[in-house]
Amino acid sequence: MNKKAYYGEYGGQFVSESLMNTLDEIDRAFEEAIKDPAFIKEYQYYLKQYVGRETPLYYAGRLSEKYGTKIYLKREDLNHTGAHKINNVLGQILLAKRMGKTKVIAETGAGQHGVATATGAALFNMECTVYMGSEDVKRQALNVMRMEMLGAKVVSVESGSNTLKDATNEAIRTWAKTAEDTFYIIGSAIGPYPYPKMVKEFQACISREAKKQHFEAEGRLPDVVMACVGGGSNSIGMFADFIDEKEVELIGIEAAGKGVDTEEHAASMAKGRPGVLHGTRSYLLQDEDGNIQLAHSISAGLDYPGVGPEHAYLHDTGRAKYVPITDDEAMEALMELTRLEGIIPAIESAHAVAYAFKKAKEMTKDQSMIICLSGRGDKDLNTISSYFKGEGYLN
Amino acid sequence: MNRIEKRMEELKQNNEKAFITYITAGLPDMGRTAEIIKAQEGITDVIELGIPFSDPTADGPVIQQASYEAIQNGATLKKTFALMDELRRGGCEQPVVFMMYYNTILNYGIADFVTKCRETGVDGLIVPDLPIEEQDLLRDALKGDDTTLMIELVSPVSKDRIPGILSGARGFVYCVSSMGVTGQAADFHREVVSYLSKVKEQSHIPVMMGFGIREASDVRPMKDIIDGCIVGSYFIKIMRENGFDAKAAKEYASRFKKELNEL
Repeated sequence: MNKKAYYGEYGGQFVSESLMNTLDEIDRAFEEAIKDPAFIKEYQYYLKQYVGRETPLYYAGRLSEKYGTKIYLKREDLNHTGAHKINNVLGQILLAKRMGKTKVIAETGAGQHGVATATGAALFNMECTVYMGSEDVKRQALNVMRMEMLGAKVVSVESGSNTLKDATNEAIRTWAKTAEDTFYIIGSAIGPYPYPKMVKEFQACISREAKKQHFEAEGRLPDVVMACVGGGSNSIGMFADFIDEKEVELIGIEAAGKGVDTEEHAASMAKGRPGVLHGTRSYLLQDEDGNIQLAHSISAGLDYPGVGPEHAYLHDTGRAKYVPITDDEAMEALMELTRLEGIIPAIESAHAVAYAFKKAKEMTKDQSMIICLSGRGDKDLNTISSYFKGEGYLN
Repeated sequence: MNRIEKRMEELKQNNEKAFITYITAGLPDMGRTAEIIKAQEGITDVIELGIPFSDPTADGPVIQQASYEAIQNGATLKKTFALMDELRRGGCEQPVVFMMYYNTILNYGIADFVTKCRETGVDGLIVPDLPIEEQDLLRDALKGDDTTLMIELVSPVSKDRIPGILSGARGFVYCVSSMGVTGQAADFHREVVSYLSKVKEQSHIPVMMGFGIREASDVRPMKDIIDGCIVGSYFIKIMRENGFDAKAAKEYASRFKKELNEL
């Protein structure tokens, strides 16, 4: 057992033999890169000049007043391409370049990670292929167009449930075939080691900035930090610098879809069991035979039947708490934030906002919380429109 | 003695190459899977029996589809154990290895799984998403009894990992002919001959080649290196074309095995 690949009993490297040397190469290149000041400098340059970091930590005054506690929003929605995904893509693509790879591949569900990868590939002149379930290709047509405009090839995956899980399967298969010249850019805090570690490292800018910004505003640490959790990339980035600050409460919000007691949810911690999928051991939604079940959420970005291994570890050790929020609760919060603050959040991020309103009830007006607003809602307008027309939702 | 090791020893004595076919358990149903296995007795040396899984990341389209259909038709690990039990009780001595993904084992429980493999006469396990670094738990459970062996996979890019893989390997070593997944038509890795030679030099057990093989002639370039070969996706294709008729399995296997030993 490769101990460093584990977070407690979660994580590992459950991939075919043909990828083991590749993972080892990536691990060594990554560890070297993050200790190399030239690499860090280049990465920081692009985060600042291209992505637009640092992002604001916005004090949401009207929400704070209404809910009776200080509510801060970490504005990842203001990043170039509209979400936190680009932070990680730029880190991994610079690493790919450093390793001499000429092609990148990625999986995508809602299309945000695909768009971010296609963007990075255009910027660094790399050939890019994005795998996307055929169901998602249909319901995220605008993001498909964005990726194609950026020069990426979008492969519509017809296999299994035709969604993110199957797109990830297909990306792994392609990677196993082409790893000699191709770098697989994983967007979630999942996958075989060192991917969960890389994604955390490249998303940790979220909490590093937020911690500093909160100090500037309040002169202390926040009481609560929260973020939505699908695979768990924005949340691990939001938690990273607070994990060792034991007095800060960490809360991850899972998608409960139509309710955790229905068949249609994506709450892998609330309702799943540990198992192995996509190279890592973590909580998974699975049936009695160990086949992976379909996840359901109105938000395509949370529509994944597993969760990153470090989250499973934080869950079991009690360092972070994970709670479910339903589609209806998320949509109500989305409208509340839109009307009170003039910010249309991604439906993913609205899950965190919805729980914040509940949490605020047990907090005082002098306490404060940070919500990671991981993305903007422009991509979701079709889904939002059909939801409010009562047409059900596209997912 | 383990059935696979016994068969490998017999082949060595007779100076013959081994032939292995792959079939997905429960495609189209467990009854016909049993017939297809029984029809190959005395011809095919080892049956690789695929346990269907929802997310088969090491498999190409043919086995993905086979897996998907088998699950839709109700195939499970439990039912496959029942099938093994029935075959062994009926006197079938055909060596059988399970090809399966690790989550299916974890879900069943490693200790219970190993006990059941021994009870029902599963001779070996191929777990494509379980590289040697992650095998500790399963290997610990398999220790002390030779009924069920862990079968190791080697890939064209394994390079300096080969000695480590071979050191604990038993039965035979499964050499993947190409990068990637099962069922890509005879498009072997460009360095396949030199890589197979390297494995053969270092291996104390027979070396089998699999992935992308259709006819015996496909392995002619490496006939002096390998000890046998495995046909998976193409075998499923033949089964489909013949309505899963066990006679077709027997005919294909007989012809392949004969040609393989005449190369």
